[in-house]
Amino acid sequence: MAAVFTPRFDLARFGAEVLRGSPRQADLLIVAGTVFKKVAPVILRLYEQMAEPKWVISMGSCCNSGGMYDVYSVVQGLNQIIPVDVHVTGCPPRPEALEHALTILQKKILSEEKPARSILHLQGGTQGTTKPVLVDGESKSRDTRGPGMEGIPIRGTSVTPPLFWDSRSDLMWTPPPHRIELREGDKSLAQVLKEKFGDAIRQTPETSDMPTYHVAEFRFKEVLKFLKTEASPKYPRLDDLTAIDESARRDRKPIPNYDGTVANEISQNGESHRPDKGIYPDYTLVYHLLSFDPPGRLRLKVGLTGKDPATRTITDLWPSASWYERETYEMFGIRFEGHPDLRRLILPHDWEGYPLRKSYPGRATEMAPYTRASAVEHQPLDAGAFVKQREGGQDLLVLNMGPQHVGTHGVMRFIVALDGEKIADINLDIGYHHRGVEKIGERQSWHQFIPYTDRVDYMGGVANNLSYLQSVETLAGIEVPMRAQFVRVMLSEFFRINNHLVWFGTCCHDVGAMTPTFYTFREREQLMDIVELITGGRLHPSWFRIGGLAMDLPEGWKEAVDAFVKVLRERIRDYEALITKNPIFKARTRGVGVLSLKDAMEWGVTGPNLRACGLEWDVRKKFPYSGYENFNFEIPTATGGDCYARYLVRVEEIRQSLRIIEQAASQMPGGRVITDDYRYAVPDKKDTLKDIESLIHHFINVTRGPKIPRGEAYTATEISRGEQGYYVVSDGLNMAYRMRIRAPGFANVQVMPLMAKDGLLSDLLAIIGSIDYILPDIDR
Amino acid sequence: MEPMPNINVLSPWQPGVLALGIFAVMSLVLIVAFLFLASWLGEKKPNLEKLRPYECGIIPTGTARFPYPVAFYLTAAFFLIFDVEAAFIFSWAIAFDRLGWPGWLQISFFIAILMISLFYLWKKGGLEWDPTARRSPVSPETSSLPSSTG
Repeated sequence: MAAVFTPRFDLARFGAEVLRGSPRQADLLIVAGTVFKKVAPVILRLYEQMAEPKWVISMGSCCNSGGMYDVYSVVQGLNQIIPVDVHVTGCPPRPEALEHALTILQKKILSEEKPARSILHLQGGTQGTTKPVLVDGESKSRDTRGPGMEGIPIRGTSVTPPLFWDSRSDLMWTPPPHRIELREGDKSLAQVLKEKFGDAIRQTPETSDMPTYHVAEFRFKEVLKFLKTEASPKYPRLDDLTAIDESARRDRKPIPNYDGTVANEISQNGESHRPDKGIYPDYTLVYHLLSFDPPGRLRLKVGLTGKDPATRTITDLWPSASWYERETYEMFGIRFEGHPDLRRLILPHDWEGYPLRKSYPGRATEMAPYTRASAVEHQPLDAGAFVKQREGGQDLLVLNMGPQHVGTHGVMRFIVALDGEKIADINLDIGYHHRGVEKIGERQSWHQFIPYTDRVDYMGGVANNLSYLQSVETLAGIEVPMRAQFVRVMLSEFFRINNHLVWFGTCCHDVGAMTPTFYTFREREQLMDIVELITGGRLHPSWFRIGGLAMDLPEGWKEAVDAFVKVLRERIRDYEALITKNPIFKARTRGVGVLSLKDAMEWGVTGPNLRACGLEWDVRKKFPYSGYENFNFEIPTATGGDCYARYLVRVEEIRQSLRIIEQAASQMPGGRVITDDYRYAVPDKKDTLKDIESLIHHFINVTRGPKIPRGEAYTATEISRGEQGYYVVSDGLNMAYRMRIRAPGFANVQVMPLMAKDGLLSDLLAIIGSIDYILPDIDR
Repeated sequence: MEPMPNINVLSPWQPGVLALGIFAVMSLVLIVAFLFLASWLGEKKPNLEKLRPYECGIIPTGTARFPYPVAFYLTAAFFLIFDVEAAFIFSWAIAFDRLGWPGWLQISFFIAILMISLFYLWKKGGLEWDPTARRSPVSPETSSLPSSTG
């Protein structure tokens, strides 16, 4: 979408250029991206506020039909809400496709519509399509397979939760999950915890990724407090907090630490909610903690029983737990007593049910139809509910910035209470881009889920694949060949540069500098050409596979890569000459949006935003993965934690990424690009033609998909915005039991009120630009 | 200041009733034509949403009609004062050659007073847009980047 305005595509040639900030001046509405039930009322309002004549282009498969997101939160087609003139296919559509759509629309208006006739009070002529909106379930088939298939269950339902009655994965054998040897420090901490908390805590004897403890509910808060403030090493950061609905587990053998002594001890204290001995929890809360020195992670699991269980909040320990607990509450229905503001965060405020419960339908087509009337009825919550009014004194001006706003970089809603131009209070409303990807992860096979990861951080491309695959590979103990690792690193760094180039243009644009966008998108197109040469795709190549890559590098990749490195290295100098010492840019960014290092560490801020506070912390160095330890590069940092520092860090990161790409290209090892352990990988096609075993694995792994051994793993990678972690839980099936994404944007954005409060409204734009978030990564 | 010596600076008064009449009629005809065309050509498809203020697609909260903070008025008042005073300087500039040195001295005195009041305002913080909520102190020079070896 953005690319069509930039030099290579130059939409202005087709007579459409100027983007309007409000629907009042626009005659064309391009809806690009997925239409969510939360944002649908907003789209409808924008359309109705447009003056006649007006036309609509629906852009992308998701917008046309819901696309690959047949999930509870997505409207299955824009034409259920507003009439659509032209549909653009593709996911994502290429820039040329949008230009084509525009010319189609122009031809349609010229040849069919005669829109001026009604203006001149003549008969005939139309303005925009006259087709009525479709009604999901009535005038359009709700079946993703087309009409006439109603009697036949959707393929795969017999093997997806909560039934699994026909899963053939049980017939497949796998080795046990990968096991690690704990470090000395972790062992001594386990000893300390054992002495201090006795039977209330029990270490899981075998783990695939990090020390894991089961803690009884009545003491988990003490344990967390101890780990945060007293333990050695301290765990100051709450990396992630989520839950698992255990009700669909196929093997519900009681977990030892929930019976016997622990249960007795709870009842002696008179606090037990669990009279049973030897039970299996209905829900498990999972806390991932992180220590900075030495770098390490730790997992706490707390079992909860009951239909609508309750536990205690930890927002008094970590203020950053606020959003995580709200998300867990709305997705699982687990109440956190003592939480200051426990209400829905991502889903609409009037949503019913808890989507990540196993009993909740995953598909939109299994739910009641979403119609135009639904879009009128389910209005976003009034802004007054988000911000505090000043007591006594004058009223503050309550203003919605977003979801439809050019400055918010996506459909996000900032609610500000303004005293003059000063932000007296600010709150965020997210979830306008919630695609239920975690729920989808529970029904797609391990391979099928890869394309969904591309779309989580849609500027990150294959770097997302890597985050996901790394967790799966850690769990199953899959060795990735060296050549595949190098290619993975190289492409991930390409996408980091891709992201930073787009960021550079938009961030500068946010504070008034328009030119850089045109320069950075020029280089980005060159980068996209390389990505296309290698993977065949632009934004969402989905090119990594379990155990390696989809295919080897093509002919001529090296020359293209070398040329790009050379060109961009010079061009960065141009960019910097424009911006880095620009007095206006400095005045708008220095001292603005300051975040202290302590806050950044405690709130889980990661990536360039954390490094701009002065901490040298990068997962690529601290928990090296995919062979990053073989590369020479530095971690850029800056001090001050303001918008300018974040700018400096990102610019330097482009240079460091170029260094990594250069090394990867020059030292590219030979050999295989996918593991030869074909139990989990899709085998090389050549091998399937030679031996029957590869052929069988090929058949199994592309149809029902491989089975991943029962277990869990959390790993994180450093994508362009920070630490993106995947927590995959397998129940020994061909799909995940729980797919949790720890998104960097979620934590980075939660901290924004700290930066923006008491500043000016204009500073908020600079802060938004410098934080560099992306909506599907926040809302998932 | 002295009275203006030359009346012929402005064009002389020549009453022409006919021309005025034609002008008035043409104006009226044009106004009526524009109003008619606008109302005849303009499409009217009113709905409730079009009457609502646009606020990023959300129904607005509360009213925007309440007392504005003092800072807006201060800025407006300062602008007005200096604007009016600039008008005096323009009138001097038109006739500076005829006013001679006495005029120059007088206007210099006037400008000096303006400058003093401007600096006074500046010092008092009257030009600070939002003196109460100044940004946090400017961060130290953020230059601890590793030298770009790449």
